[in-house]
Amino acid sequence: MNQYKRKITEESPCDSDNDWTNSSDDSKYSDSESSVPEWDSDVGEDGELVYIKLKPVEVHEENKTPLLENCETFRPRSNFKRSSTRRSTKGRIFKVLKVNKTKNTDDTSKKHLDQGTSSHNTPSTSKNYYEDNYKFIVVQVSKNMIFSSEKNCQIEKLFGISLETHSDNKTLVVVDFLTEARAIYMSKVKKGYFLYKINGIEVNSYNINSVLQRIVEDPSSPKLTFQMPTEEQNIFSIESLLVIKGAPDNTLTHVLNESMCSVLYICCNDIEYNSNDDKGVLYCYPRPFNQNFLYNTRGAYVTMNHLAPKSLGTSEPISSTILYNNILINVTYTSHYSDLLLIAFPNNDIDLFCAKKLIIEIVKLLEFLYGSLKACFTKPNNVDKLDGLFSRIFVTLLYGNNSKSNKNILVEDVLAAHSITLPLDVRVQVDDAITELEAADYREWTDDIDNFQRLYTVIGSCLYYSGHLLSSHLQDEDLKEINAFLKLNGVLNMSTVKEMEKLVMWKEVFIHEHRKQSKNDNHEYRIPDGRWFLLVVGKGHFILSTLMEAGGCTEDAIGVTPPSPFYVEECESCLELLYEIGLDKYMSSWVRSNTHPQLEIVPEYLTKYGKKIKEINSLKPESSQKSTLKISKSPLEVKKRHSSSEHVNTASNTSDNSISTYGSHHNLYSQWYNGQKYRHSNLDVSYSEDSNSLKSTSEKSEERVQGRRADRELRNRRESSGSDSDWDGQEGSRASSSIDMSDIRKSLLNEINHVTIHRITAGEENVLFHFIQLESEKGILIAPVKNIEAQSNNILYSFIIKTFRSACKKIHELLQHSIRFKRNHAPANPLNKILVAVKEYGILFQAPMEILNQCGINKKNQETFQFWVVGRVFSEPEPRELYICYHESIPQDLTEVAYLLSYLE
Amino acid sequence: MSVIVIAVATESGVPVFSRKKGTNENVQFSTIASLHGINMFSKCHNTSMVSTYIDNGAILWKEYCQSITLIGIVTGGLECDLELLLSCVHDIMIFCVGKKELEDLKNIDQVKRDLRQCYPLLDYMLESLDPNTVSSTLPTLALDLIQSILCSQAQTLQQALDHYAESVSGRWACLSIQGHLVSTSSDFHELHPRETRLLLLLTAAQDGAPLRETPVYLPQMSPNVAFRAITCKLLADVYILVVCGATPPLSQIDEIVLQCWESYAQMIKETKLVYPRNFPMSITFEPCVLGILVININNRRCVFSRHLHPPSQKGRATSGAHRMDILRTFYVTSCKELVPELKREADAKDPEPLAIMNETYWCSEYHKYHAQRSQTLLCCVLYTATVQIHTMRLISSQILQDLNTSKDVYW
Repeated sequence: MNQYKRKITEESPCDSDNDWTNSSDDSKYSDSESSVPEWDSDVGEDGELVYIKLKPVEVHEENKTPLLENCETFRPRSNFKRSSTRRSTKGRIFKVLKVNKTKNTDDTSKKHLDQGTSSHNTPSTSKNYYEDNYKFIVVQVSKNMIFSSEKNCQIEKLFGISLETHSDNKTLVVVDFLTEARAIYMSKVKKGYFLYKINGIEVNSYNINSVLQRIVEDPSSPKLTFQMPTEEQNIFSIESLLVIKGAPDNTLTHVLNESMCSVLYICCNDIEYNSNDDKGVLYCYPRPFNQNFLYNTRGAYVTMNHLAPKSLGTSEPISSTILYNNILINVTYTSHYSDLLLIAFPNNDIDLFCAKKLIIEIVKLLEFLYGSLKACFTKPNNVDKLDGLFSRIFVTLLYGNNSKSNKNILVEDVLAAHSITLPLDVRVQVDDAITELEAADYREWTDDIDNFQRLYTVIGSCLYYSGHLLSSHLQDEDLKEINAFLKLNGVLNMSTVKEMEKLVMWKEVFIHEHRKQSKNDNHEYRIPDGRWFLLVVGKGHFILSTLMEAGGCTEDAIGVTPPSPFYVEECESCLELLYEIGLDKYMSSWVRSNTHPQLEIVPEYLTKYGKKIKEINSLKPESSQKSTLKISKSPLEVKKRHSSSEHVNTASNTSDNSISTYGSHHNLYSQWYNGQKYRHSNLDVSYSEDSNSLKSTSEKSEERVQGRRADRELRNRRESSGSDSDWDGQEGSRASSSIDMSDIRKSLLNEINHVTIHRITAGEENVLFHFIQLESEKGILIAPVKNIEAQSNNILYSFIIKTFRSACKKIHELLQHSIRFKRNHAPANPLNKILVAVKEYGILFQAPMEILNQCGINKKNQETFQFWVVGRVFSEPEPRELYICYHESIPQDLTEVAYLLSYLE
Repeated sequence: MSVIVIAVATESGVPVFSRKKGTNENVQFSTIASLHGINMFSKCHNTSMVSTYIDNGAILWKEYCQSITLIGIVTGGLECDLELLLSCVHDIMIFCVGKKELEDLKNIDQVKRDLRQCYPLLDYMLESLDPNTVSSTLPTLALDLIQSILCSQAQTLQQALDHYAESVSGRWACLSIQGHLVSTSSDFHELHPRETRLLLLLTAAQDGAPLRETPVYLPQMSPNVAFRAITCKLLADVYILVVCGATPPLSQIDEIVLQCWESYAQMIKETKLVYPRNFPMSITFEPCVLGILVININNRRCVFSRHLHPPSQKGRATSGAHRMDILRTFYVTSCKELVPELKREADAKDPEPLAIMNETYWCSEYHKYHAQRSQTLLCCVLYTATVQIHTMRLISSQILQDLNTSKDVYW
């Protein structure tokens, strides 16, 4: 039924600069109404769902699919066909179907296997992927050697190894070496490795005999290629952990136990303590109990937690640092009435600062998922799920970070949801799409509105791209909790590293407002006594999470509530819409553009020596690879203040001063496409007014093909020429003749090439290396894109960023005194009255000589490289912290920087 | 704010002493037992509690000489290095009773009784941590620094001290005014800075006795053999201290002091006038400088002053004690980072090249603070809030330059 068509993928998952043909999967949508969604069989007995389908990393020839089919995928949104309509009877049928399905466990587990393999890219489907990522060992065995085999087995005779087939019945695994052969292999190959190729021919259990036959006939010495088993990577793969329904793998548990991560929940009141077999321990992971160091030493923490407030009159303990087996471990405390939750992290991976922040997030997450800590750990038959959750949390935190340079978890990830500043018009489009989803125009969904009550009200949603928050329409607390959910479960990380074909997650949650409310009843504006569900839908690098409410005006959700296919599709269509406006391509180039605001990612250029290099580079344009730098040289193009909105427009190179909010994004390229302007804005407005109004686009579908083709050609040309300047300017306007400019989806795409570079530091040169703006109340921080360090690929820059991050932690802790004081004028514990007044803290660093030498800055120069890390708190109206890192040469005023940054927002 | 220091015999769990400062109630015996129990329990499981943080404070266990466990509890937003405090407490204990006795602990009651004599020193040190009492007694700026006065007479006084030390057959002598180190004999640097601090603490805790001898164990130099520390009051708040052997007897020393120091009376009186400015008059400061703390990193000496300008406009805005507390907090929280040498060896291990911190500043609602390091000198300056950051940097480096070049500065 689901004839899923391979999409044309041109590039690796990281830069999803794909053709927009892969936006929708029409064959599915055109299915008949009775279709069952592909994730249906994965819905658990409790109605929860985690469905992941990753995009296989493959290289396909372009244009393999007929052009006409590509065309079809361009069907505008108004033609988006639903496989399900909102009919409550149908929903019930679904439920029945589901119960049947889940009973048939065989079926489910089988599906699981399929899915597992699809997400792990079996060698047969993606050869290239493997060759890039896994280590191969080649061993040449002399033809003259014949090993004595007891079993008279050909393989043993020839190579001196005994093989077995892997559980997949295909791969050949080395189980043992014959004594004579041990010397040949032992240094390189170990038991458990896969035999991958013989003489360059891929072998498996089916063809091994015929291959061996050939080897025997072939006089030359055979060459064996072994492959290291990928198990180690697989146990950490978050996608398999997410999908898993039972307890996590034993190996993983063991690894986590070794790594000194641990969680323990103890109830300390007498009744439960005595009735419980494990002396009050309600939950412990990783198990077994007696191997868990936290379990073994729990007495110390329980006493501590009891003693500090009762006998010493201090607050409850926050954290203890302990030394165990020469490993420094941070144990953090959270008490819940008389109960105590302990979470331990190894200090090497997660320092005290992060550990303290993380336990707050974990507690938030547990409350969000279960209502309260107590409910979380006392819920019957919940141990497997908790094991799964904590294994994901630990794996994400300890092994989730792929970059080798900084193993530690980044300060940006710990403080809040990492957001980036997009240009206003892009944000408007994104918000628009989400708002449409949230509005949930019921009339559009069903003809029979009188008889069918809606199932859910959408109370908010947020959109992520590669782990960056693009937009949030949630309440602050909800956003914090959803962010914690996505982050700690590794979903954000997965969406950064891998490209998803489809992700659907459905979970019942307990929203903050509801949890808080139940304590003080009879409020006039109560939220309804309903149930809340979190629906996470992902595609490509996008993740859209929607919070839904059942209660109040909707149908009541009773019993097990599986996801409604209708709402899932609704979210999917919202993502489709974003793909249609080209946001995926826009974002992938945006993430690489470094313009908003621009950072100096080649710090050497700020030294005297570097300036010379820069000059030399600029003389021969071919050698300058970074377009951003080149652009920055021409001062005309650099706008210090953001002008895409109605705000201050200092640089006057844009001809128009139109103040209309909607017109603004056209302004940016109106100089190139003057003639088309009217149609453009017209379309834009109509689109925003009415979701069905993209008709003018559909009328032009033939031209669009042309447009696409032209676009591809243009891109090819750009790639072949190697220079970046031809992509904008004159070339662009020439191309415009062939591109149909009324195509709204092109708008974003084009803009990235004409985007103005924004600087937020004063002075002639850009001295900004990095910044973080934190709004802790909102749970949002704005910082440059996560891969900025990789973009720079520069030792000095990495060093600066590393220093910046560690300094930020220090500054952040100091500034908390002021924030806490302002928040609460009579704090329970007296604060240091001096620290309370501090609102700015700056540190001047000097890069050590060895780093400078490595960067090739001349030793003779003896030039020092100094940079500031400054943090400041702005307490009105809500505390907002700004941290910037800049070169010492130009003094900066943080208030001014914050002001300029606010225009980018 | 409050600080509690508890000493417990590690093996037996017998509480040795417990001193506290601040608003806290006295720690009960059962609490001490539980606290000790936590440490012992984790030791049984091959773990050791390094530190525990509570809201606005910390609890720390530290075992010394494998016989005494010190437990420190600090709360209420006092910025202090608890580990350093505990090691200072331990130094004081050795200083008074010697290391041997602490290691053996055969007769706990005897040790407990002996340790009573270090209570004044302990209390004095704990007291000086509290910002509110700073004005009342002789202040302690930082536990690891020796407070000094810079004066042009220091060099001449050194000769006198050398002469004096020789005549009492000692090696190490120093002169202190108001608890500040003014000048030392030329061999004095042989002593560990922490020993110097203990000796100064001893003079300061000496309640005005004209001549007194105390047996002292120097924790680094001779933790097991006692020396004789002789303090002699020359003028009000002016003491000379010498560390020597068993001879000459006290009566003889009295005469020697008179011989050696009679001629210097005038000079000492002049020197006394340098206090409380603590800097030679030849060094002047900008009007926007409200207070300054200069640290000589090599010999761990520091000079603090808040009376930099002629007393025409009395400091009404900020009381002097407050300024001192501000600078101390600034130093303890942030400036120490500029001086990696001051860190304990334990946490100095980092294979990766670290950034060198050169300067740091704070802006608060009422003041600006700036610290800058130049070679062996670190200066932390308190400015008025109106000064710009770049101006601060200029002024601070000017001050450092002055101090480095001035002839009147003799550390």
